[in-house]
Amino acid sequence: MHRNVDIKVAVLLGLIGASVFSVPLLTADRYMLRVLTFVGVNVIIVAGMALLFGYAGQVSLGHAAFYGIGAYASAHVVTVFGWPWVAGVAIAIVLTAAGGLLLALPSLRLRGHYLAMATLAFGEIMRVAFVEGKGVTGGPDGLSGIPFPSFLGIEVDSAGGNYWLVWSAAAAVLLIASNLVRSRAGRAMLALHGSEAGAMSCGMDLTGLKVRVFVISAAFAGLAGSLYAHVVGFISPSTFSLHVSVLLVAMAVLGGTRSLAGPVLAAVILTMIPFADAVIPGLSRSAVETIQEWQEDVYGLTIIAVMLFVPGGIAGALRRIAAKGSVR
Amino acid sequence: MGGTELLQFGLAGLKNGSIYALVALGFTLVYAATGAINFAQGEFYMLGGMLSVWAYADLGLPLPLAAVTGVAATAVLGGVFELAAIRPRKDGDPLAIIIITVGGSMVLSSMARHLFGPTERPLPAFSGGGSVKVFGASLEVQSVWILGMTALAVAALWYLYNRTGLGRAMRACAVNRDAARIVGVDTRLMVTVSFVLAATLGALAGLAVTPLTQTVFDVGPSVGIKGFAAAILGGLGNPIAAVVGGLVLGMLESLSIAFISSTYKDAIALIVLLSVLFLRPQGILGRWRREKV
Amino acid sequence: MSLLEVRDVTRRFGGLTAVDAVSFDVHEGMIKAIIGPNGAGKTTLFNVLTSFDRPEEGTVRYDGVDITSWRAHHIVRRGIARTFQNTELFEEMSALENVMAGAHAVTRSGFLAAALRLPWTVREQREVAEESGRLLRLVGLGEWADAPAADMPHGLRRLLEIARALATKPRLLLLDEPAAGLNIAETSALAEALYRIRDRGSTIVVVEHDMGLVMEVSDEIVVLDRGCKIAEGPPRLIQKDPAVIAAYLGEEEADEL
Repeated sequence: MHRNVDIKVAVLLGLIGASVFSVPLLTADRYMLRVLTFVGVNVIIVAGMALLFGYAGQVSLGHAAFYGIGAYASAHVVTVFGWPWVAGVAIAIVLTAAGGLLLALPSLRLRGHYLAMATLAFGEIMRVAFVEGKGVTGGPDGLSGIPFPSFLGIEVDSAGGNYWLVWSAAAAVLLIASNLVRSRAGRAMLALHGSEAGAMSCGMDLTGLKVRVFVISAAFAGLAGSLYAHVVGFISPSTFSLHVSVLLVAMAVLGGTRSLAGPVLAAVILTMIPFADAVIPGLSRSAVETIQEWQEDVYGLTIIAVMLFVPGGIAGALRRIAAKGSVR
Repeated sequence: MGGTELLQFGLAGLKNGSIYALVALGFTLVYAATGAINFAQGEFYMLGGMLSVWAYADLGLPLPLAAVTGVAATAVLGGVFELAAIRPRKDGDPLAIIIITVGGSMVLSSMARHLFGPTERPLPAFSGGGSVKVFGASLEVQSVWILGMTALAVAALWYLYNRTGLGRAMRACAVNRDAARIVGVDTRLMVTVSFVLAATLGALAGLAVTPLTQTVFDVGPSVGIKGFAAAILGGLGNPIAAVVGGLVLGMLESLSIAFISSTYKDAIALIVLLSVLFLRPQGILGRWRREKV
Repeated sequence: MSLLEVRDVTRRFGGLTAVDAVSFDVHEGMIKAIIGPNGAGKTTLFNVLTSFDRPEEGTVRYDGVDITSWRAHHIVRRGIARTFQNTELFEEMSALENVMAGAHAVTRSGFLAAALRLPWTVREQREVAEESGRLLRLVGLGEWADAPAADMPHGLRRLLEIARALATKPRLLLLDEPAAGLNIAETSALAEALYRIRDRGSTIVVVEHDMGLVMEVSDEIVVLDRGCKIAEGPPRLIQKDPAVIAAYLGEEEADEL
């Protein structure tokens, strides 16, 4: 019976994967491809947020900072040092993982919600640094002319190519994340959610676990930032503001706990809402503007409603529906 | 640098510091009652200024009445927010409350943009422009108002905390919520009261500053972070520490402008915040017990 | 040499001394009980022994090593496992997964290996699942493997927690009031499980309020009253000890008030 379920899940994932990857074959609409590429970038970050919030029970109010560090570091080494873009990606991942470690170690050593506060402060410090560190970041105007990624000397400059690149990275990140949650480490994360005392009695190092999860989530954001910089070609501080950090929290919260699929779905929905016209043909400009006008209110109310009335977010709701179905 | 100039910076630090102190008090009161950080605290600051502007400019009320209206309306909003969005979360999980206030912050600032527009809005000074001389340094009259209002608010809060039954109940709650409940304190009511007080203090700060800086729908988070840094610097959960933390932070910022540069003025609060979190999480004065996992 | 050496352990809360200079030894292969009336300091002492709490004074030595200041998860990895008075199970996980979580201490798949799903981690996972199934059967919960812990009756939850503790492969197993809330049949099943666990090679320390189980299973008993050790010895001597009788009588009088 378990095997049957596994096969069904594998088939479903295969179908979803195939349809995601076939999009550039079906359309040449550059706007739509760019929006969907951006969705892929957010999916990468949210995979880490899902591990952090949904599994380790911690919240970061400053993940846009890691996103930004990844973007600026990658852009800098490529445009100024002339390094290949792959080196930029590697630097982005290493730097953000190291930054995540430095931030998480002291704040997770203590009980309480220090991590939320420390990440909030860190995010704001980095925002100031992005604006004021003109020598590296280009200040408020940002950096432009970041080259596209290239393979064997061939630049990936088509919208479809970039889409494939970002979604391949997203698939890799999701594979890593899903391996993690189904492993000994994932069981430990679920355990510390259930009972911290019980987890300690199983020999689990709670601080170590949370720190590791935070480092992974920071590195995912760094990777996303690096890809964003290369695919879009232009970065500026507003892309990495507190607002973005909060939006990422909204995705993780709406998506729900103990799940990767839920937060990924939430990331897809929340990222597309302001660009609804990219996927809904014929949606008028003014309708899109109205959506954007009320976007914040809707997101804010969604966060509150989920915390109050939908324990476990989308994932939790689906689990409850599934449980009812199996009883029947 | 001459003595007068130094005094000038000191006065500026005192003025900003007292604003931070009021916002920090808001954080500390809510923290004491719930164990959570109220991410929406900065929005109360924004609303205090914005609703006063609305009452004055849009409703045409005289300034004193508009100011009272603005602060009172914010206080009511603080209470309504708690009743509608915090209280229904029955387990009182601090992480859930933090996330709810993140959502609340988004809604409040966005509503302010819908209702009062995206641009900065001014408010006249309470008793005209101009400035007074203090040992050669000049101080805007409005800054005197800021200092006076802060002093009054702190004194009133001190009286409430130490001389009234409500204050005793709040303190009992802060020390041990379960024990307070057992001896008959309505701990849920104390959470509501803490939000109303936090909103009032934030609104007073926003109102007092608006004649100097104008106000706009998205000032909340940046002021909120400074107030939060002040609360952490002093010691979260301890009202006296919040005031001390606010004043120290204001002074540090002023000194950084005087001796380094104004470029990184906004980063000072954040660096202070991170340093305190890492080196002395209980703050300068906090009696907050440090718990190792 | 004794497996566990407790020397002059003192733990204060404000002005109250919950545990006052308590010393005793636990020898390998025995079942030792710590008993005492309510408020005697049993659970405080228990938390100190398992590094969930730190004493102000005194030392705890395990296998010759001072573990007083070790962190809780380290001592588990050295072979000391515990259960809780109010069970601390992972409610949303199945019984089998709860026991598998207990194997955390004795397995080694880290984040990197797991992220890459290296073949040996998959193998380790399968072995853990098999061993956990065996432990569930040992405590008599074979049929409950797939049930969420939250759905299990109280008495079985205690047994599940013991199975989870056993998955850490403990040399020393500490049980905090394992019989609390159990009926007579469940208590005797528990006693049977304790014998089987000892015969597999674990030393057991059990903190109990209730005398019945203790007198039956334990080789030696330490009696606490108001934080102090008032007696230590085999059950038949403890039963006759005037200080012990006085302490328990005092409690009964207090109960009647």
